[in-house]
Amino acid sequence: MEESSEPQLDAKSKVTNQLINFQWKLGMAVSSDSCRSLKYPYVAVMLKVADHSGQVKNKSFEMTIPQFQNFYRQFKEIAAIIETV
Amino acid sequence: MAAELEGSKSLSGLLSGLAQDTFYGHPGITEELLRSQLYPEVSPEEFRPFLMKMKGILKSIASADMDFNQLEAFLTAQTKKQGGITPEQAAVISKFWKSHKTKIRESLMNQSRWDSGLRGLSWRVDGKSQSRHSAQIHAPVAIMELEIGKSGQESEFLCLEFDELKVNQVLKKLSEVEESISTLMQPA
Repeated sequence: MEESSEPQLDAKSKVTNQLINFQWKLGMAVSSDSCRSLKYPYVAVMLKVADHSGQVKNKSFEMTIPQFQNFYRQFKEIAAIIETV
Repeated sequence: MAAELEGSKSLSGLLSGLAQDTFYGHPGITEELLRSQLYPEVSPEEFRPFLMKMKGILKSIASADMDFNQLEAFLTAQTKKQGGITPEQAAVISKFWKSHKTKIRESLMNQSRWDSGLRGLSWRVDGKSQSRHSAQIHAPVAIMELEIGKSGQESEFLCLEFDELKVNQVLKKLSEVEESISTLMQPA
């Protein structure tokens, strides 16, 4: 996952959405048909977002633990900056 | 077994080829390609069972995500089997697994993830200033772009806007996740 220590956002998406709800789940992948011994934890996130017209959509994705920790760290950075602006 | 198959020189290359095909999903690594490149002196009829045997061994090791003790025990057992492997071949396989284990494991993890993964994250904070007629001035806003995508598919970009309140709400949720992770990682 990319790290943004110098945030430069040239948004590829034309529409900005509002976050309505943030749900999370911490899961553990135990086993699969290609690997009997997976044993890895992951964070699954379900976002409910609304665009300008009010249309609501669900978006879900997964993160590995290191990815989550990066995500969390960046959010803390955002919080620190937004507080001072 | 043909003398060329007993040797371990080309085995390393063979294991790489098998990993490319079986785990990393690279197309075009055919049996014939591997034979002609690595074991040109060996007939296809003799090569096939050899290839299947090595593939089976590699898949067993990866499937069990063997640590080095398990690996040594497993490979030793294979050397004692009828129609098994030679000690030299065992050494090559052991060396291969030790250097590729992490990458192969990552591939297997990705193969078992069917929801979208988070591929990228960028953000900026805007200091919104309203017009002098508006009551609200200096309402900063965080704009975040998430790049998400399923394995082998193009990314989708999701752009989200957060005010300070929302950022803190999400932050609280993320700290709950962090707490859960800590609880999970604690030794039993």
